[in-house]
Amino acid sequence: MDDQKKTLKYLESVEKLAEEILSDKREIIMLDQRRNENREALREVSKQQQTKCWLTVGSVLVKHDIKSAKELLEADQKQLNIDINKLRSDLKIKVNELRDLEMQPPVPGFMLVPMSQKESSAFASAGLFPS
Amino acid sequence: MPGTSEERQPTLSESYTTVFAQEEMAGTSPERQPIPSESYATGDVLVAPRTASEVIDIIKWKTRGNLLLHLKCFKGDSLAAAQVQEVRSITRIERIGAHSHIRGLGLDDSLEPRAVSQGMVGQKMARKAAGVILQMIREGKIAGRAVLLAGQPGTGKTAIAMGLAQALGPDTPFTSMAGSEIYSLEMSKTEALTQAIRKSIGIRIKEESEIIEGEVVEVVVERAAGAGGARLGRLTLKTTDMETNYDMGTKMIDSLLKEKVYYLHVYKFDLLIYFDMAYLWYKGGSGLRGVWRPPPNLVQAGDVITIDKATGKINKLGRSFARARDYDATGQQARFVQCPEGELQKRKEVVHTVTLHEVDVINSRTHGFLALFSGDTGEIKSEIREQINAKVTEWREEGKAEMIPGVLFIDEAHMLDIECFSFLNRALESDTAPVVMMATNRGITRIRGTNYKSPHGIPLDLLDRMIIVPTAPYSQQELKEILNIRCEEEDCQMSNDALTVLTRIATETSLRYAIQLITTASLVARRRKANEVSMEDVKKVYSLFLDEHRSEQFVKEYQDEFMFNDGAGGEMAHTLKTTQ
Repeated sequence: MDDQKKTLKYLESVEKLAEEILSDKREIIMLDQRRNENREALREVSKQQQTKCWLTVGSVLVKHDIKSAKELLEADQKQLNIDINKLRSDLKIKVNELRDLEMQPPVPGFMLVPMSQKESSAFASAGLFPS
Repeated sequence: MPGTSEERQPTLSESYTTVFAQEEMAGTSPERQPIPSESYATGDVLVAPRTASEVIDIIKWKTRGNLLLHLKCFKGDSLAAAQVQEVRSITRIERIGAHSHIRGLGLDDSLEPRAVSQGMVGQKMARKAAGVILQMIREGKIAGRAVLLAGQPGTGKTAIAMGLAQALGPDTPFTSMAGSEIYSLEMSKTEALTQAIRKSIGIRIKEESEIIEGEVVEVVVERAAGAGGARLGRLTLKTTDMETNYDMGTKMIDSLLKEKVYYLHVYKFDLLIYFDMAYLWYKGGSGLRGVWRPPPNLVQAGDVITIDKATGKINKLGRSFARARDYDATGQQARFVQCPEGELQKRKEVVHTVTLHEVDVINSRTHGFLALFSGDTGEIKSEIREQINAKVTEWREEGKAEMIPGVLFIDEAHMLDIECFSFLNRALESDTAPVVMMATNRGITRIRGTNYKSPHGIPLDLLDRMIIVPTAPYSQQELKEILNIRCEEEDCQMSNDALTVLTRIATETSLRYAIQLITTASLVARRRKANEVSMEDVKKVYSLFLDEHRSEQFVKEYQDEFMFNDGAGGEMAHTLKTTQ
């Protein structure tokens, strides 16, 4: 009886974590989609000659000053970048935890801090990073 | 000559812009177009010998940046060869080696040796010991210690080392060398040892890049009126989850439209080596030629590409499966991939393992990274090594690198001399030392470089640091099993009684001799068009090829008829010395 409870609890924790990972992944995709849409919008807005533009807020269309619309978009873009990066770093920790729960050995080098741009390009030009 | 080439230069670059413009308009391969040029044209073969000034011109054209050249360098003189010269991929030919049947140590999960597994037979104690060592290496607990495999010839010392290497996997560096390899005229003994040690220490590092990955839906390039006008472009990419547009600048359009790859034999080279090649070209005189050819459009709709966010480098992964039926005939290089999933802008992380020696080599200023390819590293200054060590320590503190102490295997360790042993003694104390495995088949013998005798020919102080794993001679049943495995490895069908005879030979002479007889016997069997090796075949090769013992007898019997017969071996060496 005790054993059964323990197993159930274990399975529950594994499933919960796995579900979190999946939903985080979906969220990243959604955020990236919005990021790309914002980027397109920003590009279009910067090409415009007019002083006003239409903004959608939910299902409502609002006519708005182009300069502040741009600022809004840029602020949104900034927040999206932060959110995506945060989700990605959290995802890493969660995947590690899940592997731990599933009794799988950790992926070698998973939690390493990446090399800087300059260092990476030095290694790559020496042929040590096969692509 | 310099005067004329000065005049020619603008005409040439002009002619290329025209070629490319035509190509874009017509949308066909530029090779089929008539080219309005009085000097060099697409597909022209430039034939050596050329003057020095012309070689310099070629470099200038390339460096100007807006040239659409694809230059290939090759040896040979036929025109046909010029056009089909391709980058040869190096396919590894798997040869059957003495230990190619070994795939691991043959242990189960609790490190108990199985009787016959992964090509290993018998030698249970030694294998179990190796299994314990393996576990210690994996846990990183054994760094800075040494293991000695001691046993008679033909008892599987090298096989166990190989098995250990296989069991460690590709991530852990394993360097194998013979004791006599350190005696080179180009390198001091300690340098050779240091290099071997540093080849056995890996560092794990991570490369991270932000990439945009997607399938190309559309590439549109609008050219502003007038030549050289700014161009505008738009690239539409999609994944299974989204689709988006990118506006492109002139530079991006350029890298989308042309492939800037220069081939020389098998490697991709950058500008530096390109100069080298031009020099080669000039020096080579006859037989070196190049073909001018505008590169093909790099990216089309239906291609799956990645764009590196930081560098803007475009990498073509292949064509999308959805577009597989666009054409009836496709080139050999066409590779089909799935349309990518998920977000467009991804973070790509790749973990690489490099050895300290590789890092040394790329930082050795006198040689540069070319030494990695040519293999001629020479001596590396100790200051460089110190710098690398300091850098690696810094990386470890920042969490950027992980050390992987690997395994250095020295076969025939009795060939090392006293200097090497004392060097190793000191090197093992370093906190980043790899596990040093040695193998020897000697008993109590003279330590090389001294007059002292010591067990295994290894000084007592080093021997004291070692874990000694003995290997014992194989039993008859084990010999039969090994011969059976080798028969499979060498693709040779052998009848049961032939195998029994072979086992008998192995017990009476040596295992190595018996293994030699497998292939020879199978060749004899094939000559009489039999599928299976019979006892007669084995007997025949046994009479054809002498084993060590019979050879000795033969030599003794007919000693008088051989040259330089002085009787004892010691004097023979003396004679050799005087003749030199």
